[in-house]
Amino acid sequence: MAALYWGYLGYTGTGFSLPIAILHFFTDILICISITHFFRIISKKYCWHELKFQKLLIRIVPAVLLLAFVYMLISIAKLYVVHINFRPDFTQSFSSFYRENSVPIFMGGTRLMSIWLLAYYLYHYAQREIKIIQENARLNLIAKEAQLNNLWAQLNPHFLFNSLNSIKSLVVENPESSRRAIDLLSDLLRKSLYERDPTLISIEDELAMVSDYLELEKIRFEERLQFTIDVPRQLLSFSIIPFSIQTLVENAVKHGINKQSDGGTISIKVRDERSFVSMTVENPGMLNTDSASHGLGLKNLQERLCLQFHDKASFSIEQKNKMVSATIMIPTA
Amino acid sequence: MKKFTVIIIDDERLAREEVKRSLAGLPEFEIIGEAKNYDEAKKQIEALKPELIFLDIQMPGRSGFDLLESLQEVPQVVFTTAFNEYAVKAFDIEALDYLVKPLREERFAITIERIRKRLLKTEIAHNDASDKQVFIKDGNKCFFVQLKDVYLIESADNYARLYFNNQKALIKRSLNQLEETLDSSIFFRITRNQIINTKYISHINNLEKGKLQVTLHKGGPLEVSLRQSVLFKSLNRI
Repeated sequence: MAALYWGYLGYTGTGFSLPIAILHFFTDILICISITHFFRIISKKYCWHELKFQKLLIRIVPAVLLLAFVYMLISIAKLYVVHINFRPDFTQSFSSFYRENSVPIFMGGTRLMSIWLLAYYLYHYAQREIKIIQENARLNLIAKEAQLNNLWAQLNPHFLFNSLNSIKSLVVENPESSRRAIDLLSDLLRKSLYERDPTLISIEDELAMVSDYLELEKIRFEERLQFTIDVPRQLLSFSIIPFSIQTLVENAVKHGINKQSDGGTISIKVRDERSFVSMTVENPGMLNTDSASHGLGLKNLQERLCLQFHDKASFSIEQKNKMVSATIMIPTA
Repeated sequence: MKKFTVIIIDDERLAREEVKRSLAGLPEFEIIGEAKNYDEAKKQIEALKPELIFLDIQMPGRSGFDLLESLQEVPQVVFTTAFNEYAVKAFDIEALDYLVKPLREERFAITIERIRKRLLKTEIAHNDASDKQVFIKDGNKCFFVQLKDVYLIESADNYARLYFNNQKALIKRSLNQLEETLDSSIFFRITRNQIINTKYISHINNLEKGKLQVTLHKGGPLEVSLRQSVLFKSLNRI
């Protein structure tokens, strides 16, 4: 593109005898490409194309003048050599030839270099814009996917149908308890259907939902499920991602309690660790190292942590004796 | 009236209650046991030999499939699950029926009809001692195999390969273990590595030194070991 542009300029700029025109044509291209290419290397090296407009301007104005000056020197030298060799009547000394031609060629060079630089940075700017748009679209898509996965994981059909089955049985056996179960299930459904918008909620609200969920699961698992929640009062108002503790607790029920014939205790601990708040969920069971078993829930949680806190939050899961312990660390600042 | 004996297996008490309640109005079913996990279920099935079990597929520890695989003799099975029906069908099993929880009355009535038909049929054929089934989980596929359909069993290390209908499947049992549960009036061990179903013999040849060669309806001719040839002749008076 640039070559054709320069070529065209070179062609229109010098228009007498054909061989000399062709010679000028190619040498002009060569000179311009060399100069601009040299500039491009420098610009790339110092990442000028990533600069903001003002900072870029400070650099390219002197750059244009410098490039134009270099262009002028080389062009005049070239012209002088060509004239000497191809025009027998040409006898002017170099210094007078220089004085005569330096200003117009310098002005032409400035114009050419300005156009070239402008085109060059406009091109990069457009590229950058496209890249940003693409990245934004991808982020949006991930967020939407996360939302959908979340909804699916939250609605957790297996949980829903088992709960309904328990409730059906309770209606006959213990109507009071079944009424309570319907209330809990309704609230959980409402939260997962309508209240997924806030990017952050307080630990207090999250734990209210978690204990509703556990109370409902306790109706189903009866004495097989016990749980403890331990959170310092001053952390209740701390903001976390919604459904984060909930995801861990659901996993603890699904992969822990559900697989233990005698059940066990799920313990939830929130701790202030200076620059972090840690949230740990422990359950009896074995950690399945099989990667396929690390379901949507955890993957989704990690993605959301990353989107919200970048690399500052972390998630880990480990086996301790016969307990599985999952921890989320969220930065306090 | 003859009563069909039933055991209900589910890790959740409330879910077991639901099945019990559904069966309550049906006098021909007698619930003789309830189990909440693999071990309890296995013990009860082996001791009480029910004709029918309601089985939850997902249970703590070992699944409903593990349970069926471990049984020498498998009763009729109705699976109950909170998965959707298609998810269960992905297991590729020929069960009597699948029920999704919560159990819907109309759907349960259909199941009961199927159970009645199947159990009455097996009752008529009850004199036939080979009318037993085993459960095999071979890779992703699950089979309920009627022993009367099995024509050849070959040993394969610690497993045995059953040939039935147009299929074959590996069962986690040695040939010796299998031989104990098979009806000896029908199944005959022709060599150390092979048992045949004599009802599938199409013809028998005499080889040199008194050895026999049998050909079944399917597959090529099989040679009978010398010792077993003598035994076979004396049993069948040939």
